Amino acid sequence: MATPYYVPETSVPLPPPDADVITTACDYCIVACGYKVYRWPVAGGKNGGPLADQNAFGVDFPVDPLGPWIAPNQHNVVLHKGEPHHIVIIPDKDTKHVNIDGDSSIRGGAIAKKAYNPQSPTRDRLKQPLLRMYGVLMPVPWDFALDIAAEVSKHVIAKHGANAYGVKTYSYQYMENTYAITKYALRHINTANFTFHDTPSDVTSTPGFRDAGFDNFGPSYEDWRDAETLLICGTDPYETKTILFTQWIMRGIENGQKAIFMVPRRTAGVAYAEKNGGLWLDVLPGTDLLVVNAIARIIVENGWEDSDWIQKWVNNKWESSSGFGQGTRNTPWQWRTTWGKFQTAGFDDWKKWLLAQPEFELDKASELSGVDPQKIRTAAEWMAKPRDGGARPKTSIMIEKGFYWSNNTGNTQAISALGIIVGAGGRPGQVIARAGGHQRGGLRGGKYPRNKSPEKLPGRRRRAIDTDRYMVAGHTRLAHVIGNTWIQSMCGSQGLAKRFDELVVANPHQIRSFDKQDIIDTLKARADSGGMVVINQEIYLVDPIGNRYADIVFPAATWGEETFTRANGERRIRLYQKFYDAPGEAKPDWWIIAQLGKRMGFDGFDWKDSNDVLEEGSRFSRGSRKDFHMVKVAAHREGKTLHQKLAEFGTNGIQGPVMMLADGSLEGTKRLHDVNRKLPDAGPAGQNMFNKKLTHFNSQTGKCNIQKSPWSLFSDYWEWMRPKGDELWCTSGRINERWQSGFDDRRRPYIVQRWPENWVELHPDDAKARGIENGDYVMLFSDRIPSQKDTILGVEGDDFQFGSLMKNGHIELSKASITAVAIVTPAIKKGVAYMDFLHTSQPANALAGRVVDWISGNYNYKMGVGKVKKIGVSPYKDTFRSMSFARRDIA
Amino acid sequence: MANQEALDRQGGHPCLMSRRSFLLTSAAATATYTVMVTMSPGSAAAQQVPAAVATYPRKLIGRLSELRVDEPVDFSYPDEEVYSDSMLVKMGVPAGGGIGPDSDVVAFNYTCTHQGGPMQGTYQGADKALGPCPLHLSTYDLTRHGILISGQAYQSLPQVLLELDGDDIYAVGIFGLIFGRYDNLQA
Repeated sequence: MATPYYVPETSVPLPPPDADVITTACDYCIVACGYKVYRWPVAGGKNGGPLADQNAFGVDFPVDPLGPWIAPNQHNVVLHKGEPHHIVIIPDKDTKHVNIDGDSSIRGGAIAKKAYNPQSPTRDRLKQPLLRMYGVLMPVPWDFALDIAAEVSKHVIAKHGANAYGVKTYSYQYMENTYAITKYALRHINTANFTFHDTPSDVTSTPGFRDAGFDNFGPSYEDWRDAETLLICGTDPYETKTILFTQWIMRGIENGQKAIFMVPRRTAGVAYAEKNGGLWLDVLPGTDLLVVNAIARIIVENGWEDSDWIQKWVNNKWESSSGFGQGTRNTPWQWRTTWGKFQTAGFDDWKKWLLAQPEFELDKASELSGVDPQKIRTAAEWMAKPRDGGARPKTSIMIEKGFYWSNNTGNTQAISALGIIVGAGGRPGQVIARAGGHQRGGLRGGKYPRNKSPEKLPGRRRRAIDTDRYMVAGHTRLAHVIGNTWIQSMCGSQGLAKRFDELVVANPHQIRSFDKQDIIDTLKARADSGGMVVINQEIYLVDPIGNRYADIVFPAATWGEETFTRANGERRIRLYQKFYDAPGEAKPDWWIIAQLGKRMGFDGFDWKDSNDVLEEGSRFSRGSRKDFHMVKVAAHREGKTLHQKLAEFGTNGIQGPVMMLADGSLEGTKRLHDVNRKLPDAGPAGQNMFNKKLTHFNSQTGKCNIQKSPWSLFSDYWEWMRPKGDELWCTSGRINERWQSGFDDRRRPYIVQRWPENWVELHPDDAKARGIENGDYVMLFSDRIPSQKDTILGVEGDDFQFGSLMKNGHIELSKASITAVAIVTPAIKKGVAYMDFLHTSQPANALAGRVVDWISGNYNYKMGVGKVKKIGVSPYKDTFRSMSFARRDIA
Repeated sequence: MANQEALDRQGGHPCLMSRRSFLLTSAAATATYTVMVTMSPGSAAAQQVPAAVATYPRKLIGRLSELRVDEPVDFSYPDEEVYSDSMLVKMGVPAGGGIGPDSDVVAFNYTCTHQGGPMQGTYQGADKALGPCPLHLSTYDLTRHGILISGQAYQSLPQVLLELDGDDIYAVGIFGLIFGRYDNLQA
């Protein structure tokens, strides 16, 4: 771990003119800025000099503002082909897209420090496979660990069924890896006990978008800039996806864009927007739907809706029901709508419903949400009121997790309808989409076997397994965890950890032998006795999943240590090139999976390198938003590999879906649902594939479904969770300076100095009432964390509604408590406490209910509740070395 | 004064010793820490130090009696070249590295350590902060060694080490690399 006693450097080495230059993109947030790695040998001491002809940048030092300066945190020393090399990694000053003036965030800006260097706090990277023997994780050879893992896996599947083999994996850590993992888990093992890092079930993150026909990532970044009114729900992109704000939205605001933020927390981006004429809708957690529908109501009451757009692009009564029996019967949309909760007979039907709901009246919505009614009215005017002369404002809507993880189904249905009536869809500056969290690195190598899932909602087809509830119930006999914390990133974290303790640590079958067969037999006996075996693939030893629970740990190679491919939040596909040696024996996840697959007797795991994996997987990208199959076709025509062809695109990449034109050149896709786009008359020639969503919406007709969003499906949970007595909402989200669990940031002295541990923002009134000051240690705790304990088969329509689950005894209450350092700031709404969303030792999710959104199967993570009390004074209160208690919304 | 003691001890390695002592004594209470600091192990930087070891100049930049709370005074340091613009301010609250009877006088370089934005005129008296930078909105906490409050900078704002001699305030060193330069003393 890094020490907060960080001493800054006051000089850096410059790369010489002949340094190797390798393009890549940032490993972290959705934006994926383009970077260049400058690499040169340490041996010989041949560093560059300050004159233009003496360094690789070709500029004189000191450089101009925005120039290729190197902060000391952008330099490192790594091994390349076994020899020490300097590396300098700075944003690409020549890139034409994304971070267009060579901009970067603090996260990517310091990415050079991510690289393994045994003289830095990265020294604890996993370097050899580990096996827990006599309670201790000991280094063992690859073959030894792989043989054991495969033998135990085969036994578990044969004896307890495929669903006993649980896979909890990242969804995004490069297409080469996710293809291999899903091929292994879904196509070959064919387990339904499978999900990704951020959800207990493999289900859509934004059900409302899915039903309306909106892709999550349809727009180009320029659309966010070119909107005249932009509603941003549940995020401040400045804090979480910086360059999307500083290079695109900020440019828009400078050009007069009216930015409206709907978040309970005022951060730098919100403050900047407000200072420049924008608006802050300071919504209480979980009440977004009410504000959205209040805005929609004002719009339709005044007749401000975009009638031409609605006429042309919204399904009418007949279109809404088209395809029944054949077409849409087998879609999630149909399962969600058969009960009549969401489906409408078109705009007029939806309007009639909207106007009949008393909770969407301005005063009522304002009262529950805590948002001033005048602000809601202003938002409606900015979004839809035609100007003198009749011209409509170009309005766009951006959502992210603060919004869609509060009332997952309801919020996403409501915002889709609002988007539709203001004409947001597929036109320049008029778009609706997610902003994004992590990058888009998923590539499916197998289909989820939904029919093998025991989850069944009333009247509907099966829904993907809730892997948390399945594990808690003891059905998971082998947990294969790849690149995520599982426990802290899921709700009711401390209850999950308790179950891991019982199933893994407390089980009597522990390895106390050096003999391979003994070891295998012990782990088999563990699984057979009702316990659980844990296999973990990681870059660092994570507590507790690796440190306390894993029986076998496989060391993974990551960014910069293997050549990988991934897309960003505007579907821009880039190659992330290898530039240094992975530490020790660490191997990329695709390789680890291939070794397991071969030992399990599966065919098709004989790849020789990561390009090989991607070339096999490319056809499975066809029709998806990041369809890059034609890049492979072009590469092979030119006698190149797919990776070689992608490397030619450098940091500019190419936006998916990619099509090949008649002359053999490749063309990317600026935006999806691009209603003005003219596709080639010749049609999808050769291996080209024209998906409906290129020029239409992703629905049964290509037009949007405008849907209802009833508050009542969620209001019982909201009322139950709502703070009682001296409780506060305990919500969470990202903080700009840290990425995910902080796996890299905890090893960066500068970031550790800034954020040494978990913290909680409290409103001054809430703090004063509890005698809390800046820098005090506080305890956040609750004795009523709800968790759904039983997997039931739904019969009646509301069996899964929270009120029914509670009434029928399917909800269990437990305790949770975490500590944090208090930050008292008026930037957080009164009644709300805000924490980092994923501190591994002090997880905010411990205070959120382990009850999924009953329509979609996602957790509503942002709905935590608890009490807050002072327990002492932190070391940061009266010293000046670490943390800052200054407000983050200075404008 | 702890910083004066540090200077007295600095001997043949003025920057290094004063930097270390400065950082270790920068608590609200002036008790000297006994924690040992391992200097940053990126040994590559050391190789880059020019053969002739340059030292920071000792420069008179203001008088304590002339400072008014929250009214910054500009000066140049460590030279008169590009990016040497700096500010001296009495903040009225104790600060890391602060001098004077109230430990509230500090000095910082004006150039944002993200992408070189000029932050002249952005001192925020209410928050004891510098910024937001006009380029990408970074803000810095001047009570805590210029640490980033919110924003994108790759390091804290370079802090100018101060020494008080009677009423005279001297700049005697810098912590952290100034934007645009590869070495603080090479402009």
